[in-house]
Amino acid sequence: MSAELAPMLPKTPTKSHGPRTLSATMFANAWRTTEFRIGFFIFFGLILLSVVGPSLLGVSPTKFSVADKFLPPLGFEGGSWSHVLGTDQLGRDLFARSLIGLRNALMIGVVSVVGMFLIGSIIGMIAGYVGGWVDLILMRITDAQMAIPVIILAITILGVSRPTPVTIVCVLILAGWPAYARTARSVMLSERRKEYVRAAKILGASNLRILLVHIAPNILPPIAFVAVLDVARMMIIEAILGFIGIGIQPPTPTFGTIIADGTKYLMNAWWITTVPGLLLAISLCGINLMGGALERARNKLLQGVS
Amino acid sequence: MSAAEPILQVRDLSVELNTAPQRRKVLDNVSLDLHANEVLGIIGESGSGKTVLSRAMVNWVSRPLEMTSGQILYRGQDLRLMPPAELQGLRGRKIAYIGADPTSALDPTLPIGRQIVEKLKSVEPGISDADAKRRVIETLQAVRIPSAAERFNEFPFQFSGGMMQRVMIVDALVTSPDLLVADNITQPLDVTVAAQILRLLRDLQAEYRTAILFVSSLLGMVNEIADNVLVLADGKVVERQSMQGILHRPEHNYTRHLVREMPRIWEAQPDVAAAPSVTASDGREVILSVRDVSRTYATKDRNRLFGKQQVQAVRGVSFDVYKGDSLGIVGESGCGKSSLSRLLSRLEAPDTGEILFKGQSIAGLRGKSLLNLRRGFQLLLQDPYNSIPSHLTIGRTVAEPLIIHGGRSRAEIRAKVAETMAEVGLAPELAHSLPVGLSAGQRQRVNIARAMVLEPELLILDETLSALDQVEQAKLLALFEKLQARHGMTYIYISHDLGMVRRVCSRVAVMYLGRVVELAGNEITFFDPGHPYTRALLSAVPAIEHRPYNASTYLLEGEPPNPINIPPGCSFRSRCPFAFDRCATIDPSLKPRGKDDLAACHLAAGAMPAPSHATSDTILA
Amino acid sequence: MLFAVDFFLRRLLQGLVIIVLVAMLIFTLLRIVPGDPVRIMLGPMVSAEVAEETAQKMGLRDPIPVQFARYVGQVASGDFGRSFVRSAQGASTGGSRGGDTFDAANRASVMGLILIALPYSLLLAGLSFAIAMAVSLPIGIAAGLKSGRWPDRMALYLSSVFVSLPNIWLALVLIFLVSVKGGLLPAIGYRNWTYAILPAIVLAIELTPVFIRSASVAVSSNMMESYVPSGMIRGLSRKRMIVAHVLRNSMIPMLNVVGIQAIGLLLGSLFVIEYAFNYPGVGLLMINAVFQRDFPVIQAIAILACMVLVVVNILVDFAATTIDRRLQY
Repeated sequence: MSAELAPMLPKTPTKSHGPRTLSATMFANAWRTTEFRIGFFIFFGLILLSVVGPSLLGVSPTKFSVADKFLPPLGFEGGSWSHVLGTDQLGRDLFARSLIGLRNALMIGVVSVVGMFLIGSIIGMIAGYVGGWVDLILMRITDAQMAIPVIILAITILGVSRPTPVTIVCVLILAGWPAYARTARSVMLSERRKEYVRAAKILGASNLRILLVHIAPNILPPIAFVAVLDVARMMIIEAILGFIGIGIQPPTPTFGTIIADGTKYLMNAWWITTVPGLLLAISLCGINLMGGALERARNKLLQGVS
Repeated sequence: MSAAEPILQVRDLSVELNTAPQRRKVLDNVSLDLHANEVLGIIGESGSGKTVLSRAMVNWVSRPLEMTSGQILYRGQDLRLMPPAELQGLRGRKIAYIGADPTSALDPTLPIGRQIVEKLKSVEPGISDADAKRRVIETLQAVRIPSAAERFNEFPFQFSGGMMQRVMIVDALVTSPDLLVADNITQPLDVTVAAQILRLLRDLQAEYRTAILFVSSLLGMVNEIADNVLVLADGKVVERQSMQGILHRPEHNYTRHLVREMPRIWEAQPDVAAAPSVTASDGREVILSVRDVSRTYATKDRNRLFGKQQVQAVRGVSFDVYKGDSLGIVGESGCGKSSLSRLLSRLEAPDTGEILFKGQSIAGLRGKSLLNLRRGFQLLLQDPYNSIPSHLTIGRTVAEPLIIHGGRSRAEIRAKVAETMAEVGLAPELAHSLPVGLSAGQRQRVNIARAMVLEPELLILDETLSALDQVEQAKLLALFEKLQARHGMTYIYISHDLGMVRRVCSRVAVMYLGRVVELAGNEITFFDPGHPYTRALLSAVPAIEHRPYNASTYLLEGEPPNPINIPPGCSFRSRCPFAFDRCATIDPSLKPRGKDDLAACHLAAGAMPAPSHATSDTILA
Repeated sequence: MLFAVDFFLRRLLQGLVIIVLVAMLIFTLLRIVPGDPVRIMLGPMVSAEVAEETAQKMGLRDPIPVQFARYVGQVASGDFGRSFVRSAQGASTGGSRGGDTFDAANRASVMGLILIALPYSLLLAGLSFAIAMAVSLPIGIAAGLKSGRWPDRMALYLSSVFVSLPNIWLALVLIFLVSVKGGLLPAIGYRNWTYAILPAIVLAIELTPVFIRSASVAVSSNMMESYVPSGMIRGLSRKRMIVAHVLRNSMIPMLNVVGIQAIGLLLGSLFVIEYAFNYPGVGLLMINAVFQRDFPVIQAIAILACMVLVVVNILVDFAATTIDRRLQY
């Protein structure tokens, strides 16, 4: 629709409410959709809770209470207000444990994504800009790295050594950077041909200047919101690793270990497994709704449909 | 020529644009008649609504556009009221449409022949596969596509723009429609290719007796083909007359204005003085010297497993540019002018030859000296939207060269930026805005400011004005003249627009297939050129004046040969109407011909027909 | 024809380089990372000398490049070695069972172990693909055709929800609800093909968002191309344009996603789900091998997984060039 409309619309400059960058408009448009708002509130609500929650609500994730063990959530027979979402086999409050688990998962997710984003983008940009041998070698390495699925790499490395948060993050970064490198490189290849790069060169700008001042601001936004979605993905992977036993080791509560522990009691105390997973799923849903809405707003903007 | 009843009647058609915050009338009570076998030209500037009108004829008016009133009667039946199935049956069969962009009109992943057959079978369900294919190939031959049977199986990307437009003409005419709507079909094409297409269309129209609605923004284009003309302005019909009537006896003010404003090449233009013709040398300083420069690119050879093909983009180009001059470099696609511009701006280095700026070779410069060189001459590019970064403020963009070259304080930079912006006509408060709301003309001014801020002596303009409309072009040309007068600058205009070159360039270089085939002063180039290709270009330029060189003598079929396999001898030989045996063996170099003209041709003086002169029937000013 | 030869030659060569690099990477990582396999094989009771001796005999103390060269030689002749831990009968030996049960002579061949487990994994993968496609394609295409309207929004919500469900958690919940409480489908282990249904559903839920997203993006961006309205003006019906042109051209990006991303996704999640359901496929084999430090098995499966990905990549790219000839140039 818009493709044919473009030549017909009058060539008056779009009246803007002041200098608006592409990113700002994208956010503003996304904010208008319900999906984005729902996602936003869910996610930030839960983040807030996970940071302040346990102390504020007065529940402790580690306090044992033999008397209170195996309490079901509120609404089921036996539930109580002091442990709204139930307790586990040692009487520890599930809500509190889940919140801590969320905090840990977030930390790992965010740190690893930031790491893979930076490393991947830089490598990709260099490969795309310099071209030639450098490009060839870097891309072969990227392809090789991409040929190893995340889980397999994680299982292989973490399975035979002792997993710590640092090694987990490193493995995740190792598995994730190639995708960013690929995207950064392809965006760089198309930006490099654009006339403003040529104009800058003719003015005498050095390559470094062109990369930093001119091209990078155009490349980073489109990759950045993929990064948002990846945080969710990394959080799931962290849970999976914990489940198999190669994530952050106990006694630190993580989603994976809580769920794995709960499997033994699935028959009688199903909530031990279900509740934490549900909380994780809801927070991820928030991230994904936000990211999805952002992406659609961006696509619409780029295609010119209002 | 006109039958009793018009084949198409439009009555009081109005179309509105329905976007927030308010509706806008795009077409306002437009009426027209079109008879069988008639060619009606529709002319209007951009924004006049002519594209919407042409699309309305095939009922292609979709959101946010809306037809609010009026009738479109095809053979008496209102297209607006027709049931969709019946309308679908008409479109493509009896009413055909060809648009401005032929390369994206077909599915790029399927062969063209197959797609035309697909269309044929959709609109004529009874036809057999063999018959359909046969008819398509016959029509491909009728539009003079060489090797039609083989090209039937080729893909859209294997066709050049001109050839693809012919394919679309085949697609339109294969069902022998009554009515053909041609919407700006020659816009993206080179001058000679466009002239060929128009000639083709005229011939086909006579043969198939189709009524044509020919929409264009160039009066000169419409002149070549139309019997009658409708003038559209701001969505309203302003005048309707025969073609000759419009040119000689325009009734409405707007039409008069349109006729007057058309750039003249051969006639004396009222109000505008042509550029002074300057003869070469006379002891003036040479500011840029190009000596025997060549550049070849290697691309992958599809026919061999590991081979490369050589694309000879620039072959042995030499010319001098004098201080204070304006040199025009003209040529069509593939002539090498874009590669030349990359060489001149030192983005690439020539394979052979050298380029001297003020006597110093630019090839060997590095680092600091290269930076100094850049201060001496600058290049302005074509695309106003992509050549300035969108995330920096205008002031920062214009200041960039000063920042790169260093040596000035913040305050000095700010002052210089303000001064330059004022000089090129940009409002000072724009310095703090992002470029997002600017028009194309304003963006080019930002480009100019950025280039001017270092006070260069030489400015190369690579199709800089091509993306702008007539009005903006005129304004910027005036700005260039002013800057030249004030700073004594030298310009090189690389362009395909002969009208503009005629107006502003004192000397002209004509390029063909990587070589300069003619280098002459302004007058000579346009009134007595020595090379057949220059004459062919002049014969193909859309114009409303009398041409000294007409198409039947000079305009040729076919397209330039592949720069990969350039035949020996003169590269123009295969399309030259005057080629003789020497042309096939020896490649001519630039030879002086008269006082101020260099032409690369073996023809002796007087071997080509003399230009024909205008009769007393000149255009009314 | 020439193009095909050129293409496959180039890509297979590149693929080989990649696989060798990957093999090197995994091989080295396994040996660098702390945790001595011999210890695990023989159990903690065995004396240090015996452990060292066994390690030497197995070649585990040689420098890594030497070990790798030997490995490459073996693999080139088709021999992926023998499991450190499992005996030919399939039982695990050594380790916690004590050193004397370590049956050095009768260890199972890695290739054999893999070949036994492979059909189960293929069944699971195939089933999950089929389910995912059957659900995603209609939704995705509808979303692409009616961009901005309710199919599109439904697709967004559905995808966002599905992609947020951690697969292991979902597996447990489904096991509980469907199998234990509902008794509808069997869950753990394998006795007949119905045991594959529940894990396949879990995997399909994970694949669906990816498929939906790529289908809707591909379709909607193709619908925006100029040739679509152009075709309708030329006389082709909208239905024909969609089926013969838009959908056909959408297959390329979809092929890309299905072939490459989906397989990559599957290769990871398949293993985890098999573990969760105790389903006797290659994944279970791998994860157990990791816990038992069974290097040959780990190496073999990792390398084979990468080979699959590389080959699928090449096939997908080639298929794309036959659909869109421009890619050949």
